Amino acid sequence: MMGLRRAAAAGVSDLARAARFAALVALFSTVETRALAQNAGAAGADSPPTPMAPIADEYVLEPDTLRVESVTTRITSFDQFGYGYQSQAGPVLGPGSERATILEPQLEITASQGSRLKHVLTVPVDVVSAASPDAIDNTPASADVVSSASRRNIAGTIDWAATYRLDNESDVSMNGGVHLEEPLRSWHGGMGTTRAFADGSTVLAARALEVFDWFDRFDITGHRHGRTDRSSTTVSLGLTQIVTPTTVLNVNYGITIQEGELGNTWNSVPLSDGTRGAEVFPGERVRHALVGRASQFLPWNGALRAYYRFYADDWGLVAHSIEAELMQRLSPTLYFGALYRFHTQTGVDFFTTQAPAPDALRTADSDLAPLDAHTVGGRVVLDLPVETSQLGQLGQGGQVRLLHFEIGYERYFRTNDLHMDILTCATGYRF
Amino acid sequence: MTARCIAAILAAVLLPACATVPQNRRARLADPMMSLTGEPLDAARRQKLYDTREGAAGGDGASAGGGCGCQ
Repeated sequence: MMGLRRAAAAGVSDLARAARFAALVALFSTVETRALAQNAGAAGADSPPTPMAPIADEYVLEPDTLRVESVTTRITSFDQFGYGYQSQAGPVLGPGSERATILEPQLEITASQGSRLKHVLTVPVDVVSAASPDAIDNTPASADVVSSASRRNIAGTIDWAATYRLDNESDVSMNGGVHLEEPLRSWHGGMGTTRAFADGSTVLAARALEVFDWFDRFDITGHRHGRTDRSSTTVSLGLTQIVTPTTVLNVNYGITIQEGELGNTWNSVPLSDGTRGAEVFPGERVRHALVGRASQFLPWNGALRAYYRFYADDWGLVAHSIEAELMQRLSPTLYFGALYRFHTQTGVDFFTTQAPAPDALRTADSDLAPLDAHTVGGRVVLDLPVETSQLGQLGQGGQVRLLHFEIGYERYFRTNDLHMDILTCATGYRF
Repeated sequence: MTARCIAAILAAVLLPACATVPQNRRARLADPMMSLTGEPLDAARRQKLYDTREGAAGGDGASAGGGCGCQ
């Protein structure tokens, strides 16, 4: 009867609906009564009801402790073959070998500190054999950059980036790090900000970055002549726009100004008198790059990612790069991608394979020559969700939620006699 | 002609900003395949490859310099 009165008070007019509503109310009332009775019995007839422990603010509000959100590792091998006129591992006036193998392990850890602060720690390491400057100056007869003899050179970087969310629309970020390798020390630091508009449909980003390199100066015979340096300052501005529910675009313009020693100091140039001399570079370089990116979701559960980059600098090098990656999802956890990239550049104004004058600007570096480059490749990605119950009791913060696996292969080849086979493999954990 | 092309590109990019895509219609954009730059470590190793093997580094948010392979 009480149930029917509550049904009427709730505005239920139909008789059948009123009866169902009354039955539900009666059922809830019964369960509530039993629960109260059980609590009373457990507490004992004489003891007062046990008050619930107060919930601490830290339990409701996320504490400002560091919480690891993901750990990703990747290892990539580069197997390079080719010839370039800057290398002395060949005829005096001809191109020398650019054979090299590089093994690059990488680590990335992301962590949150409260609801506003996010940290990203990145540690890439390069293990380079061949064409490395290791052991230079250790022997009177000079080094592997002059002959084809090869040692091993290990280079590592530590980069730490922190992003602080000011409000729902904007954040600021800072990053810094150091790069260490046999003849070189490098420090970098940067800052940036993003501002979202139109409910996040439009995001404007600005960023500045400074890199300072301090490295040994070797001559082309491998002898050391103290140290030299260069600085690189980059400022960029970007705009990201959600155009439709399946389309997002990005444009970015940046300028880099470099000053100091802009070569590695040991590359050589064939001279018209039958010998080799050192490269001669300007002391400054101003680079401009305009980039456009687009990502389009495809109706058959795929995606197309497109990229175009225009580059020009005051050394006379103009370049265009286009890239497209087509991805297809095979299941909710598995997708694959196929990649093609084309790059063409004009080369710097003073590129030569045989320099006539001893003091004029000159380089024979194959990377600064006119060239076309192609990259073709593919990858398979598996994002495997993991039920927390499968992992047992690892603690609230230590449960792996997603396992990420990726394997890919790419072949990079240029029109000026250089190609590279690249194999990459990644494993990630999302907590 | 160049100015018209630039104006057309800017218009194509900026005019959609007049219309907002609601948050509840952005599920497709959250798919990892839709990331503009890809997985960060993969993007970093690719950029390093092109920066060191081609003469067109710098400008777009990353700096040239830092490592003996860079100029």
